[in-house]
Amino acid sequence: MRWVETEETVRFNEVDEWGMAWYGHYMAWFEAGRISLLRLFDLLPRQIVDLGYIAPVVSLKCDFKNPATSGDRIIIRTTVVKPEIAALIFKFEILLKENRILLAGGETTQVLLTTNRKMIYRISGELGRRINNLVDYCL
Amino acid sequence: MDEIINNSEALCEFLKKMIIDTLKLEGITVKGIDSTAPLFRKGLGLDSIDALELVVAIEKIFNIIIEDEEVGKRAFASINALATFIQNKYKKGSSPCDG
Repeated sequence: MRWVETEETVRFNEVDEWGMAWYGHYMAWFEAGRISLLRLFDLLPRQIVDLGYIAPVVSLKCDFKNPATSGDRIIIRTTVVKPEIAALIFKFEILLKENRILLAGGETTQVLLTTNRKMIYRISGELGRRINNLVDYCL
Repeated sequence: MDEIINNSEALCEFLKKMIIDTLKLEGITVKGIDSTAPLFRKGLGLDSIDALELVVAIEKIFNIIIEDEEVGKRAFASINALATFIQNKYKKGSSPCDG
């Protein structure tokens, strides 16, 4: 399985009263990782809209293993799972850059709707081609 | 498979079992599913991912394609509706099972 890596720094305003990165920010880091991967395959949100679709997240899972602290350099690793259904399933790992200790792991599932909000059960056409390229790359 | 398709009662039983097995529904039995109740939200309480999994199962088992939500809304309205949908797509002229 191939992962795309993106770097971020934990900002001062992203830690909580206990000095640990606030849990909600991990979702934003997942998003940064996802965008890095989608950019490679012309599947950025606006490009998906240009094709006539949107891809809302319907499920999110995150396991927190170790806390990140202010100033930490982190690596967001992102990959996509070969889908058995018409959905996009991303996996994420967030590592501390200096020693690659796992800070958190997670997964999101996105379904595909037409821009007039009709869910599609099969992915086809240009969207299907780009998603196939993405999936093949990550295998 | 033709035997099941042509027997509405057997088809409904088959579909209920397919749904339970495909979605790994715990605590729900074939007898516990009302053939007239909606499969999504209020009835059996299934969600959008469940729909996608059922679409794949139906394609594998019956070789019937459900393209999108518009078709899905009719097909997944209830077990009866799904049975009718499959009978119509698989072979014309069958009737749905009773409640």
